[in-house]
Amino acid sequence: MASTSSTTAVKALSFRIVMWLFALMTIIPFGLLLLTSVKSKQDLFRGAFALPDYPHFENYVSAWVDGHFGIYFWNSIIVVVPVVAISIVLGLLTGFAFAFLSFPGKKLIFVLLTIGMMVPTEAFIIPLYYEMRYLGLINSYAAMILPQIAMSVPFATLFMASAMQQLPKDILEAAMLDGAPRGMILRKVIVPLMKPSISSLGLFLFIWTWNEFLIPLILVNDDVYRTMPLGMLFFQGRYTVNTPVLTAGAVLVIAPIIIVYLIFQRKFIEGLTAGASK
Amino acid sequence: MKSSVLDAPLRKNLPFVLPGLIIYVAFVLGPIIAAVVLSFTKWDGLGRPELAGFGNYLQLFGDEFFLKSLRNNAVLIVFYCLLPLLIGVALAAIVSRVRKSEQLALRTLLFMPYIMPSAVLGIIWQWLYNPAFGPINQILRGVGLGALAMPWLGDFDLVLPAVGLVATWYYFGFCMVIFLTGLQRIDPSIFEAARIDGAKPWYTFGRITLPLLLPEIRIVLLLTIIASIKSFDLIFTMTRGGPANATLVPNIYMYELGFQLNRYGYAASVAIVGAILIFAVNYAVHRFVRPAGTGAR
Repeated sequence: MASTSSTTAVKALSFRIVMWLFALMTIIPFGLLLLTSVKSKQDLFRGAFALPDYPHFENYVSAWVDGHFGIYFWNSIIVVVPVVAISIVLGLLTGFAFAFLSFPGKKLIFVLLTIGMMVPTEAFIIPLYYEMRYLGLINSYAAMILPQIAMSVPFATLFMASAMQQLPKDILEAAMLDGAPRGMILRKVIVPLMKPSISSLGLFLFIWTWNEFLIPLILVNDDVYRTMPLGMLFFQGRYTVNTPVLTAGAVLVIAPIIIVYLIFQRKFIEGLTAGASK
Repeated sequence: MKSSVLDAPLRKNLPFVLPGLIIYVAFVLGPIIAAVVLSFTKWDGLGRPELAGFGNYLQLFGDEFFLKSLRNNAVLIVFYCLLPLLIGVALAAIVSRVRKSEQLALRTLLFMPYIMPSAVLGIIWQWLYNPAFGPINQILRGVGLGALAMPWLGDFDLVLPAVGLVATWYYFGFCMVIFLTGLQRIDPSIFEAARIDGAKPWYTFGRITLPLLLPEIRIVLLLTIIASIKSFDLIFTMTRGGPANATLVPNIYMYELGFQLNRYGYAASVAIVGAILIFAVNYAVHRFVRPAGTGAR
């Protein structure tokens, strides 16, 4: 029947429109951000979607230099790199232990690690602040690096342990029969086999650490140590009126994440959804 | 647990376990335990903490600000959980029927907010909502709806939904992606059979699709409800809990009590109640939202 098939077509089309409307809603804030970041202050008064006469890239220079985003960027790198690298190494070691080794209190320690995954940072930030003060680490990179490694240990351990349990047993047995020490087996046999899992883990840890807000908010109050999301907040306090420079700063904060996301998006989405459904 | 060929005496196993465990205990588990202890004391951050027994907790449930923060949080669950869940399921149902390439593009796009720093998104949305020069009001005035151009974050009644909608915007794509993965897991012959039996699309959706998506619904409920209880970054950067506590949530209240008013013991008890709520939600979702009968895991 022609009429029913045309109503189905209309229906399908309207569903498609709804779908792309939601996609637009997701993308428009980012589009506006990008557009505003290349406007002059005068351009702002001509409407949100009006194009500037020419792109004002000098906003980015102001954000990077005057807005200190250059400093914030390097601080983020200085914090993220060791957190990701050390967390992966610790995750491999502890994950190896949970997958293959026996030690007393294994079940209890497992439970304690899952507690750490559930309890929000806000719940223990006060004692952590005083611990850091006692150690004299307030206003240092260590104040951001050490807790974030510790916060990554539970996830890294469980993630690595479950990936290692899926490795073919006979390869490990063969390596053991060859008389190789276990540290060597972990390094030379297991790590090469686990490259996909390790890079997924690295990706998640990179994003979480890059985005972390509470830890630097509380544990660091000197501008020279601030990381990007936090720098953004204080930048906003200083430059509320200068919207183009503010939006240029926001683009600088999220650009690295978007680039990493677009390169690895498959791995990302599959990893996160698979991780979530466990 | 059967021991593996890689196992060895305890002395040789410890070097694998201890490094991670020590740093975890030092900077996460230790502070958690300290927070629990602290929540039973009165402490201004300078002198010695004084034991207060359950005093802080008893005081909490007569504290109008704390009760207000809980009520706000209950409202926020609608925006963090319910709306993203409904939009996510509906979008997944639509997206699952389009071409593979279009599906991938939409998935990539809609998932994007979820990986962004919520603190920065809060600042971006604060600008979008700005009553004078924010794009939202500019657009509304531009299309002749100037009457709707509100001071979104300055109005006592509008601010909570305005902040909440940002959370909805943040989570609906994530929910869609989870449900899409779920739909791809379901055997298409089930839908084929339903179609041949003459089942209407809505009937199929309600009686077949939704029950089979129960594992995904469970994950989404768990993650989004917990996220609403944990909410801090977004609200802190958008409103700091204001105006006049209209967006106060427990974690913001904890921050004010601790780091502005130096009532650390009381602040710790607020934080611990938040953690207990998260455990309760976790338990409730695992206990009550479970796949019934066959078909699902």
